[in-house]
Amino acid sequence: MNDEIRKSVRRVDAVAKASGLAKYISDYNFGDILYARLVRSTRPRAKIISITVPELPDGYYYVDHRDIPEKGKNRIQMIKDDWKVFAEDEVRYVGETIALLIGPDREKLLSLLSEIKISYEDQEPAYTIEEGLACKGGAIVGDDNIYGEYNLVKGDPDTAFNNAARVIEGTYRTGFQEHLYMEPQGMVGTWEGGRVNIYASAQCPYYIQKSVSGALGVEGKEVRIKQVTTGGAFGGKEHFPDVIAVPLAVAVNKIKKPVELIFDRIEDISYTCKRHPSRITIKTALDKENNITGMTIDTVINGGGYESSTLIVLQRALLHGIGVYNIPNAHVRGRAVATNTFPSDAYRGFGAPQGLYAIEMHMSQVAKELGMFPADFKRKYFIKNGDMTITNATMKDTVKLEEMFAAADEMSGYSKKIREYKDDPYKGIGISFVNHGGGFTGNGEQEIIKGVVKMKRTGENSAALYVSNVEMGQGLQTVLRKIAAKELGLNYTDIEYDNPDTDIVPDSGPTVASRSTMVVGYLIQECAKKLKTKWDEGVGAEAEHHYKHPSEFKWDQDTLQGDAYPTYGWGINVVEVEMDKDTYEVKTTGIWTVFDVGIPMDDTIMYGQVSGGVVQGLGYASIEKCEVLDGKFRQHTMADYVIPTSVDFPQIKNRFIDNPYKYGPSGAKGAGELVFDAAAPAYADAVQQLAGKNIYDIPVTPEMIMGLEE
Amino acid sequence: MVNSYRPTTLPEALKLMETRDMIPFAGGTDLMVKYQSWKGTLPRFPKDVLFLNHIPSLKKIEVNGETLAIGAGATLSDVIDYPRTPDILREAVLSIAAPGIRNIATLAGNICNASPAGDSICALYALDASVILSKSGGERELPLPEFITGPGKTSLGRGELLTEVRIPLKEANLQVFRKVGTRKANALSKLSFSAVAEIKGGTIDGIALAFGAVGPTVVRSKELEKKLTGKTLEEIKVLYKDIIDDYSAMIVPIDDQRSTAVYRKQVALNLLKNFLESGLLKEMQ
Amino acid sequence: MAKISFILNGEEVSVEADPLKRLLDVLREDFEALGVKEGCGEGECGACSVILDGKLVNSCMVPLGAAEGADIVTPEGLRETEKGKVIVESFADTGAVQCGFCTPGMMMAAEALLEKNNNPDESEIREALSGNLCRCTGYDLIVKGVKVSAERGKDLW
Repeated sequence: MNDEIRKSVRRVDAVAKASGLAKYISDYNFGDILYARLVRSTRPRAKIISITVPELPDGYYYVDHRDIPEKGKNRIQMIKDDWKVFAEDEVRYVGETIALLIGPDREKLLSLLSEIKISYEDQEPAYTIEEGLACKGGAIVGDDNIYGEYNLVKGDPDTAFNNAARVIEGTYRTGFQEHLYMEPQGMVGTWEGGRVNIYASAQCPYYIQKSVSGALGVEGKEVRIKQVTTGGAFGGKEHFPDVIAVPLAVAVNKIKKPVELIFDRIEDISYTCKRHPSRITIKTALDKENNITGMTIDTVINGGGYESSTLIVLQRALLHGIGVYNIPNAHVRGRAVATNTFPSDAYRGFGAPQGLYAIEMHMSQVAKELGMFPADFKRKYFIKNGDMTITNATMKDTVKLEEMFAAADEMSGYSKKIREYKDDPYKGIGISFVNHGGGFTGNGEQEIIKGVVKMKRTGENSAALYVSNVEMGQGLQTVLRKIAAKELGLNYTDIEYDNPDTDIVPDSGPTVASRSTMVVGYLIQECAKKLKTKWDEGVGAEAEHHYKHPSEFKWDQDTLQGDAYPTYGWGINVVEVEMDKDTYEVKTTGIWTVFDVGIPMDDTIMYGQVSGGVVQGLGYASIEKCEVLDGKFRQHTMADYVIPTSVDFPQIKNRFIDNPYKYGPSGAKGAGELVFDAAAPAYADAVQQLAGKNIYDIPVTPEMIMGLEE
Repeated sequence: MVNSYRPTTLPEALKLMETRDMIPFAGGTDLMVKYQSWKGTLPRFPKDVLFLNHIPSLKKIEVNGETLAIGAGATLSDVIDYPRTPDILREAVLSIAAPGIRNIATLAGNICNASPAGDSICALYALDASVILSKSGGERELPLPEFITGPGKTSLGRGELLTEVRIPLKEANLQVFRKVGTRKANALSKLSFSAVAEIKGGTIDGIALAFGAVGPTVVRSKELEKKLTGKTLEEIKVLYKDIIDDYSAMIVPIDDQRSTAVYRKQVALNLLKNFLESGLLKEMQ
Repeated sequence: MAKISFILNGEEVSVEADPLKRLLDVLREDFEALGVKEGCGEGECGACSVILDGKLVNSCMVPLGAAEGADIVTPEGLRETEKGKVIVESFADTGAVQCGFCTPGMMMAAEALLEKNNNPDESEIREALSGNLCRCTGYDLIVKGVKVSAERGKDLW
C-alpha cells in the first residue's frame, strides 16, 4: 500500500506552470490599480525628527501610522507583536516602514517619493552579535538587548566538566542567508464586499488575517486573504508578508481602491528578513579514555531590530543543538540578541541548520583531535530509541542511522576515500548526520495551531479538500490530493484543492515547520476516512477533522521539557570536493544523500525536495555571503548575492530509507527542512578535511580557505 | 524627457553624435542595469540614447591581413562563434554572464563600460588590442590602455563612437586565461589573469601578462615583459623572484562586496607563478 | 513615444511606446505575454527569457527600441509549437517544475539549446541553463527534463 502512494505522478500544477499559464500575483489584472511604494528608513538607528511630504496631486495618498483605525493597533501581530506597522518616532533598522506612497502613475510616484524629506537624529547602531551583547550605543531592547534566554540541562554537566581529563572547545559562526525565492514578495489589496481583501504570494493566509485584522481592530473574518500561486518561499513568505500586508491593508481601508505592492529584486534582497546569523560555542568534556562525558553549547542568534518569531527560531536551534547524539550530561544555553539589522526571521530549518552546523563541525573536530575519522567517532554517540534527549524525554523514534550510514558509505565510498585523501591537500570528503523534528515544537500543534481540515463530496467521483496550506513549489497540491485520493479510492486528479481563501477554508495552520505533509496530511487522511463513511449521503456530504495530539507525547512549554517533537526525519550527506591550489576555489565532485522521511509521498517530488534543499544548503555553505555594511546588506543585487547556478554542483545521488511514522499519512514524516540541514556541515567538513585545519565559519569562501592556509 | 535614436547607417549615427551629447547603446546590458528603475517605469537614462544595433556594418567581424576587426555591434556570442577569435579572448568572453546576456552584450560595450572587472578587457590588454574611435569626418586608433583611463572612464571624445576593436593576430604558442568568479558560471570577477607568450628555440620571443580586477584598470607592464623577452629557461629561473616581487609591487587591489584585497593579490601572484612554473617553463624545456 | 513594430510569436505587431521601455514591460503590459516573468530586472535570473531573432535573451535587458523589427518568441508562442509541447510535457513528466516561476524561462533556454544542439550531454545542458536561476529544484530534474525533451523530440530539432 505504501509502495502505491510513493509512486511518482505528474504534478497537478506542472503543465500550467511550464507553459507560462499559471498566474502569480503580478499576472493578475485588478482593473484600475494604484501602485504603492514603501517610504523606508535610511538610518539604522535614529529618532525621526520630522517628515516633509510634498503636496500630493489628486488620487495620490500618503499613508502612515495616523491612518490606523482608532480601535486598531500600530503593531504587526506575529508571534510577538513588537514590530510596528509604521515607524512613529524612532527607527531601528535600515528599511523600516515609515509610510506608503500610493498613486496611479508609477513615474509620478517615483518623483513624489524623491521629494519626501525625513530628518533624523542618529544614534549609535549595533550590528553584530558582539555589538548587541555589549549594548553598543545603549540597549535597543530592555536593558540588556536580550530578547530571551533558555537553558536546557540533561544530567550533570558541571560534574562532567569538573572531572574531565580534557576539554575541547570551538566557536562556530553562520551568516545571514537570503531566501531568494524566484518570485519577489508581492500582494494586492482590494476593497470588496465592504472589507479589505489581500491577494498574496504567501505561505500562511491565516497569519496575514491575524495581523491585518489585529492592526485594523476588526474580527478575523472581516478581512479576506487569498493566496495566489506562489513562486517559492522557503520561510521568506511565512511572516514577512505580514510586514507589507498590514500597511497595505491600512491603505486599502483608507482609500477603498485596489493597491498593488510588489517588490523589485533589489528591494527584496535589501529589505526582507534573512536567516538569523549565529555564534555557537561548544565545549566537550572527555574522560581519560577519550569518551565524551559532557557538553556545553552556548548559542546566540542575531534577531535584528524586532523580535517577531526570533525566540521560536532560537528554541529550534537549541532543540537541535546537540544533533543526533546521546551525550550523557549536557547544558544547552541560548540567547537571542537585538541589533540594528533588518529583523531576522523564518528560513527553511528555522534555527536547526545553525545548531546542526555547529555540532557537526565540532564533532568532526573533536574526532580529529583524538586521531579518529569523523564518521567513526560520531557513530559511537548516535542516539537510539529509548535514549534520553536534551529535553529529558526518551527518543521515541526507531533510529536507523546505522543502516543509513551503511547506505551512504556504500554509495559514496566515504570510509575508503577519507583514508585515501588523508594527506591530500587538494581532495576532501565530508560527512554530516542530522535530524529534524517534524511539525511545531512540543505541544504547539495542540495549543497554538489547532489545525482543522474539511472535505466534501462534490460529484460522482470527486471530492474537494479545504485546507489553508499552500503550494509554494514543494508539491503540496499534488501530495495532499494523493493522500485524500488514496483513502477515497479516487484518482488524485479527481480531488479539488484550490489556493486557499480564508473565506472558504478552515485554519489548518501555516505552511511551515515541515508540517504540511506530516500533520495536515494526516488530518486529511483521517478526514477522508470519515468522508468515505458518509460517501453514500451523496454529493455535498462533508467531513471535518481536528488535530489531536497523540497522548504518548508530553510537553511543558514553560520549562521546555518533554517530547520536543513526536518524530524526526533523519539525514546523512556526504560531499566530496577538490580545491584549486592557486585560487583556493572548491569544486564539488560528488554529493550523496540518505534520508529517512518515513515513507516518501511521491518519489519524484521528494527527490526534488532533496536536490533543491541540498543545493540551497550548499549555497549557504559556500557562496552565499551576506554582510552588513552601515546597516545595509552589502550584497543586495542578484549579481552580488549569488546563489548556485546549474553548473555549480553535480547531480545528487540519493536514497530513502523507509521508517514509517504512526501518525503520518501512510507513514510520512516532515521533510522540507531536513533536506536543507545536512549540506552545509558536510561541505565545510569536506573542506576542513583537505585543508587539515579546522573550519569554524560559513560561508567557506576561497578567501577564508586562503586564510587557513597561511 | 530623454529621447532615443535608431540610426541605420554609421554616418547617420555619427552625425547624430555631433549634434548632441548621447549615450551610445550597443548591447546595453551594463547600461540597463546601471539605469534600472521600478518595473513599468523607464530606465533612468541621464542623456539621450543612440541605439547602434540597427547598423548592419557595425556587426561585422573580419580579418584584414593580420588584424582581427570586431565591429562595435558584434555580440559576445558572435565573438565566441567566430573561428579566428584568439583562444584567450574566446575563453574570457565565455566566462562573461550566461548565454542570454552574451547574445545581446557586445565586446565594444564591455570595453566602454571600462569596469576594472571587465573580463574581456583583461584578455584584450594581453592581446595588444586597440580601438577605433570614429566621428564625422575622421577616425583615430588608440591602444586599449590609452582608451581606458579609470574605472568607468574612457577617453572617448565628444561626438565619438567606438566603432571597432582591432586585435593583431600574432603567433603565440602559449595562451592562458583564468577567471576567479563569485561562482562557477554567470559570475562577476573577483580577479582575472591573461597571458600570451611565444616561445621560439627555447627563449621567450614575446610575452604579455595582464591582471584584471586588481587595480583601477587592468595591470600590465611592458617594461617587465621586456625584461623577460629574449630570456632562456635558465635566465628566467634566476630572475624568478624579482619578477614576482616586481608584479607584487604593481598589484594593489581593494576590498569590496565580492572579495578582499589580500585574496586578490595572493591569487593573482599564484596564477602568475603557476603560469611561469607550469606553463612557461614547461613550454621552454 | 514612437510606433515600433516587431514580430511576436509569428504575428506582426506594433506598439506606440517609448523606445526605452523595457521589452519585458512591453510584452507583459502591452501584449499580455504573462509567461515572461520578472525575477530580477538586472539580467541575472533568466525568468524573463525570450527568443529574439533565434537567440535566447533576457527581455529585461532589451529596450523596445533595440527590438524594432525583431522576431520574438515568448512562452505563449513556444507552447503552441510541437517543440514547445514536447518541452512542456517532458518537464511535467520528469518533475522539473516546482514553484514554476523560473520554468517558462527554462523552457526558452531549453528550446534555444536544442535548436543549436539536438543531442546535448549533461554538461552542455547545464551550461545552457546557467543564466536561468532556480531556487527550488537544485536543477537536477530540470536537466533531466531537457534531456528527455531531446530524446522525445529527436525528429523535431
